[in-house]
Amino acid sequence: MKLRDKEKDVIALLSEAQRESKHNYITEEKLKLIAQEAGLSYSEVYGVATFYSLFSLKPRGEYIIRVCDSGPCHLMGSRSIFEVLEEELKIKVGETTPDGKFTLEETSCLGICDEAPAMMINEKVYGNLTPQEIKKILKRLREKKW
Amino acid sequence: MVKELKSPVRIVLENCGKINPESIEEYIAQGGYKAVNRVLQEMKPEEVINEIKASGLQGRGGAAFPTGLKWEFTSRAKDTPRYIICNADEGEPGTFKDRPILEGDPHKIIEGMIIAGYAVGAHYGYIYIRGEYILSINRFQKALEQAEEHRFLGEDILESGFNFQIEIHQGAGSYVCGEETALMDSIEGKRGNPRFKPPFPPSSGLWKKPTVINNVETLANIAPIILKGADWFRGFGTKECPGTKVYAVSGHVKEVGVVEAPMGITLRKIINEYAGGMRQGKFKMAQVGGTAGAILGEDMLDVSLDYASLKRKGLVLGSGAILVMDETTCCVDMLKCFLNFFKRECCGKCVPGRIGTEKLLEITTSISQGKGKEDDIDLILQTAKVMQKASLCALGQSPILPISTILKYFKEEFIEHIKGRCPTGVCKI
Amino acid sequence: MNTVNITIDEKPIKAEKGSTIMEAALANGIKIPHLCYQKGLSIAGACRVCLVKIKGRPGMTASCTTEVAEGMEVTSTDEELNEMRRLIVELILSEHEHNCLVCENNGQCDLQDLAYELGIDKIRFPVNKSVEPIEDSSEVILRDPNRCILCGRCVRACAELTVQKVLDFAARGSKTYIIAGLDQPLVQTDCVSCGACVQACPTGALTEKLARFQGRSWEFRKVQTTCPYCGVGCQLKLNIKDDKIVKVYGVEDGPDNKGHLCVKGRFGFDYVHHEDRLISPLIKRNGKFEKASWDEALNLIVTKFKELKNKYGSDALAGLSSAKCTNEENYLFQKLIRACFGTNNVDHCARLCHASTVAGLARAFGSGAMTNSIREFEKADVILITGSNTTETHPVIGDYLKHLATYNGTELIVVDPRAIELIEYAKIWLRQKSGTDVAWINGLMNVIISEGLYDKEFVENRTENFDKFKKVVSKYTPEKVEEITGISKEKLVAAARMYGKADKGSIIFAMGITQHTTGTDNVLSLANLAMLCGNVGREGTGVNPLRGQNNVQGACDMGALPNVYPGYQSVSDEQAKEKFEKAWGAKLSPKVGLTVVEIMDAASKGKIKGLYIMGENPMLSDPNLNHVREGLRNLDFLVVQDIFLTQTAELADVVLPGVSFAEKDGTFTNTGRRIQLLHKAIPNIGDSRDDWKIITEISERMGYPMVYRSPAEVMDEIASLTPIYGGVHFDRLEGQGLQWPCPSREHPGTPYLHKDKFTRGKGLFTPVDYIPPAELPDEEYPFLLSTGRILYHFHTGSLSRRSKPLDSIAPEGFLEINPQDAEKLKVKDNDWLRVSSRRGKVEVKAKITDRVDKGVVFMTFHFAESAANLLTNDALDPVAKIPEYKVSAVKIEASDYIDS
Ligand SMILES: Cc1cc2nc3c(=O)[nH]c(=O)nc-3n(C[C@H](O)[C@H](O)[C@H](O)COP(=O)(O)O)c2cc1C
Ligand code: SF4
Ligand code: SF4
Ligand code: SF4
Ligand code: FES
Repeated sequence: MKLRDKEKDVIALLSEAQRESKHNYITEEKLKLIAQEAGLSYSEVYGVATFYSLFSLKPRGEYIIRVCDSGPCHLMGSRSIFEVLEEELKIKVGETTPDGKFTLEETSCLGICDEAPAMMINEKVYGNLTPQEIKKILKRLREKKW
Repeated sequence: MVKELKSPVRIVLENCGKINPESIEEYIAQGGYKAVNRVLQEMKPEEVINEIKASGLQGRGGAAFPTGLKWEFTSRAKDTPRYIICNADEGEPGTFKDRPILEGDPHKIIEGMIIAGYAVGAHYGYIYIRGEYILSINRFQKALEQAEEHRFLGEDILESGFNFQIEIHQGAGSYVCGEETALMDSIEGKRGNPRFKPPFPPSSGLWKKPTVINNVETLANIAPIILKGADWFRGFGTKECPGTKVYAVSGHVKEVGVVEAPMGITLRKIINEYAGGMRQGKFKMAQVGGTAGAILGEDMLDVSLDYASLKRKGLVLGSGAILVMDETTCCVDMLKCFLNFFKRECCGKCVPGRIGTEKLLEITTSISQGKGKEDDIDLILQTAKVMQKASLCALGQSPILPISTILKYFKEEFIEHIKGRCPTGVCKI
Repeated sequence: MNTVNITIDEKPIKAEKGSTIMEAALANGIKIPHLCYQKGLSIAGACRVCLVKIKGRPGMTASCTTEVAEGMEVTSTDEELNEMRRLIVELILSEHEHNCLVCENNGQCDLQDLAYELGIDKIRFPVNKSVEPIEDSSEVILRDPNRCILCGRCVRACAELTVQKVLDFAARGSKTYIIAGLDQPLVQTDCVSCGACVQACPTGALTEKLARFQGRSWEFRKVQTTCPYCGVGCQLKLNIKDDKIVKVYGVEDGPDNKGHLCVKGRFGFDYVHHEDRLISPLIKRNGKFEKASWDEALNLIVTKFKELKNKYGSDALAGLSSAKCTNEENYLFQKLIRACFGTNNVDHCARLCHASTVAGLARAFGSGAMTNSIREFEKADVILITGSNTTETHPVIGDYLKHLATYNGTELIVVDPRAIELIEYAKIWLRQKSGTDVAWINGLMNVIISEGLYDKEFVENRTENFDKFKKVVSKYTPEKVEEITGISKEKLVAAARMYGKADKGSIIFAMGITQHTTGTDNVLSLANLAMLCGNVGREGTGVNPLRGQNNVQGACDMGALPNVYPGYQSVSDEQAKEKFEKAWGAKLSPKVGLTVVEIMDAASKGKIKGLYIMGENPMLSDPNLNHVREGLRNLDFLVVQDIFLTQTAELADVVLPGVSFAEKDGTFTNTGRRIQLLHKAIPNIGDSRDDWKIITEISERMGYPMVYRSPAEVMDEIASLTPIYGGVHFDRLEGQGLQWPCPSREHPGTPYLHKDKFTRGKGLFTPVDYIPPAELPDEEYPFLLSTGRILYHFHTGSLSRRSKPLDSIAPEGFLEINPQDAEKLKVKDNDWLRVSSRRGKVEVKAKITDRVDKGVVFMTFHFAESAANLLTNDALDPVAKIPEYKVSAVKIEASDYIDS
């Protein structure tokens, strides 16, 4: 017994397409395929893909750094986390490093307020952040081969 | 794992941290799935609904709607099939009280969903888990597989003739999708725009079919109520709001984390007894109920934190998030942060929501930069009031509460900013 | 109607149960402000300016989303509500800078009106000054995001009216914007340029490109009239400035289009003002046209026709009337030919499209028209569509079918050799080999009978000849049908069950059924099918031929046919003849006249000497054009009355400039038997004359005066002689028109025919056997050619190709060919091909697509440069004399033709 044809769940299809892409985005080709698969028009799929903040239609870095700036994290100093990251990566929020390694994003509450200020890098959570901690994390990731 | 403070009672969090959440055997050893067994073998659907009604359980997702009544409406809807949805989108800032259950005791949620399904005659359930809760998703997936293996899910559960099936739907980054109708559109593969109501989900929900949607914590209360009875449940909390609440405490306290306590505990008690008191500075204010919640000043430290008492004061308990702020906090800066959240997460469908949130942030930002005008405070209030009356969904209706309460306590500070000075020195003017 | 009582602002109102407060208010003339609500579209509840107060309920409620309830007391305006609305409108006005000064919609903008009504004199919010570029890729639509209020009406119009789903919202929150396709320029998307979005837009965010800077709302004169293109008969509102049509809207309560239009109706009007319009009579002297005065031209015509009549007799003259002209003109034309020329040699292009329908349905039921109404399709459970590429040829009906399949649960069965757009909306698609229709229809009935799905009671009580018919059908087992048609037996059975089990089944067909040597047989078979399942005489059922041209139904009704007087009264019926002789004061010929193709034939044989053609272009529309040219050249005298110098007019001796639909009063009868008004909107162009006046002038000069003061008076005469039009008078037609039969002044018209009794009494089953097409592919001519139309053009293109937007969207003809065939022939997209048949050859570009099956090619006949009818076969259906346009054999070779 299956609740619904998984093939037709457009949000799941979009997630999958993005996961498959090295640059964390959904290509136009993929969007078209998904539209066909899900029986939707191009505009419908585009509308869905751009509604949800986890999706991107533009190439992004290998690592998506998503720093929370909602109440608890803001209170616990997330602004300084952004400052450190911007300085370290030499990019602004919303941008990708020229080497295609990192994209810096601002996000709403991640539900890890018990570790505020917090962020996620791809699927991993990092809490109780301090500038030193961030530098260490970045160093580790820079050295890591994809 | 989510940090749990020392809870005075543990109904919802009973097993969390105690059992291996990836082992159904451990859950069963703690009395797990007994409630499902009892319901399927001994109770009629109406009896289940009556028991939940008698318990006085209210929705823990924020709106505090009586759960039994919701189930009853759904069970009486003519259309089929019917659906059960567990709302695990937990996006309200400062709220991390469903996560410990998802990560630490997923079977309890499954049990609640099966019982809900049986009560309303639904055979399909969805759990909508926010996409960022990777661990929750993985654990829940595992739990589903185990429950199926043990024939708690699937066809003819425990030879009762009842079928029930659950599927996980992952969120993709949208707070408003926690709103029940937006969530349904999202499951249907659409943009997560809230629908206008009525019709309400019990008559027309997912795929326009009768649907029960309940919060994780609500559903985690179901099995204990079935096993121990409504009267036992009413032994906790207040007369109007029985049971416990899982509060999520964050901000300038010594210990942050979740705490399960009887409904009606005071803010002072939470801060001092469970969160270990203020971290350094003096208490300035707390926001209760998440970003959509009210700002409480010192005078409210002893108010009873339950739905009814707060409602009488024009406030809300919401999700039970408590953000404690000390004197170093600038209220203009914080309001800006709250409004930024609304603007970012608003779906954009209705005019007051879409443009209202944007303009509120714009004006507040200019105040924080010392560029504000005297009239701006009034304009913010008026705008938020119109948004409250006119917005399509609760997101746009929400900003009035933080705005009006923060202004009630700290209007002077706003005027200071307009005059060109941030008293706490947070805002760069 | 189920009503409830409510009050709005203390005014008691009866509201339809289940309607919203908004609908109830608007129906009662109370205006509640709204921006995102639009009649006919689903509800969004997004703008929030429609909020009202309801007594006993806290706060405010959106009136567009809230249903009325008995005793509800609504306050639609008070100071608090207005204060709220003001703030909301101020928010909108701050989202972008709405520079009304240079907005096309200044003066007809819902936002502007609302801001004014609410007395907004300042905007308290900081206004966003950034300006986004305008998107102008479409030939017809401009998109200006700076004026967009995100009401979503365009999105819903495109999704729900046109069902193209080209537009949607993208991003979210304050970044939300409207996209087309994958955020592409409109021209790169599936947009069909219908402009439904433009009409839906409450502001100047979507506007008509060609109307830009051509006039402002208050400068326009607005005239309602009927679309001159296809048989749907959409109601239009022309916006006219300085006697020039600037833009067109669909009339919201147009009975059959409900505000919707297709690209031709909305944007294809500019031919009216085209520089090619004929502005004075022309006489050919020494092979060259010279301008002439009306007197000169008319006298020449009269002299010539008189001469020919005296010398060769009445039957040496003939007339081709016009499915593009009004009922009144057609009536007068056939009257001229019959009463003044003295012959029944009058016909028109209905011969080429639906003669077999008229013959077949008249025989089976007694009436040769759509049995039911267009807007009844929504009552049907199952609709079988065959031989109709509805979305291109009757776009507004096609869109409606897409809508029903998408939103109404209506099940569609499409039977078509081509993969037309509607197959995407169909539950079942049967792809038959061209020309095998009798076989598959018999096959369906075979299954329906053998599975006992037919309506025994209906067959018993209301029909005759069932047993003979049954015997023939019993031969058509699914196996045998599969062999003949190529339709798998499983699919055939599934379709039979779907149609057979439906409570209300409707059948739609068009030229794919009729344009065959077996056209009449095909139609009879469909009639059999409907009767078999009791699907006649009830709402939402029936056999529904979609008539092609705007007034082809009317031209037939008016007797522009060689065998019948107006109202299908037979010329060989002595009583009818006497009636008309008396009324017209002339002796009439009892001899059935010649049909279109026969006239051309007779002309080439020298039997027809003089021909009067009004508004037709046989030099592109008729089969075997070389033969037609031969015939026309062979005439002693040819008169063509038209608005352009068509391919046919070029061969004429005298050309008379008639007028376009915009210059006329009169009526058209649409495919749903609805008689609708045309209103003269602009003065005649140049020295052109009203077509009806030209006819009466000729008649008078020939010594047979016909005196009328107006088309309305002509209709009065029609009513007096034509029972089915007996109650039709201009004063009754304003607004919704009337559907014939309408026998008397009191009669409300007839939405569906054969209610308790067929026109002919009992319905007649006709046993029909399958006969293959006249010409099938062979070794020399290996491909089967089928012809048809495309969305952007109409008939021979004399109008649509002179419309700038239409001709720029679709500037040239093409040949659809299957990818496998293309590969075999080593043909690439857009390669030039030479296509030839036994009758002629044309050069045309290839369009490789699997819309056509292997071995089949398809071509349109709109384009003179690549005229498909040079190739088509003029083999005729023996009963209806309709040619076999849909099947001929051709060969295809690469061509060295160079694109100019
Ligand atoms: C903007 C918005 C966000 C919401 N987010 C959540 C959420 O993340 N989780 C949740 O359980 N309820 C959320 N809700 C409340 C739900 O709409 C709904 O009331 C709840 O799921 C019902 O479950 P309950 O009756 O068990 O509380 C949200 C409501 C709004 C208006
Ligand atoms: S013109 Fe028609 S098809 Fe094109 S976008 Fe507008 S509504 Fe859609
Ligand atoms: S383009 Fe027009 S109709 Fe479409 S959303 Fe914008 S304002 Fe509304
Ligand atoms: S569907 Fe036909 S009648 Fe309607 S607008 Fe188009 S061409 Fe005109
Ligand atoms: S506020 Fe940052 S994780 Fe919750």
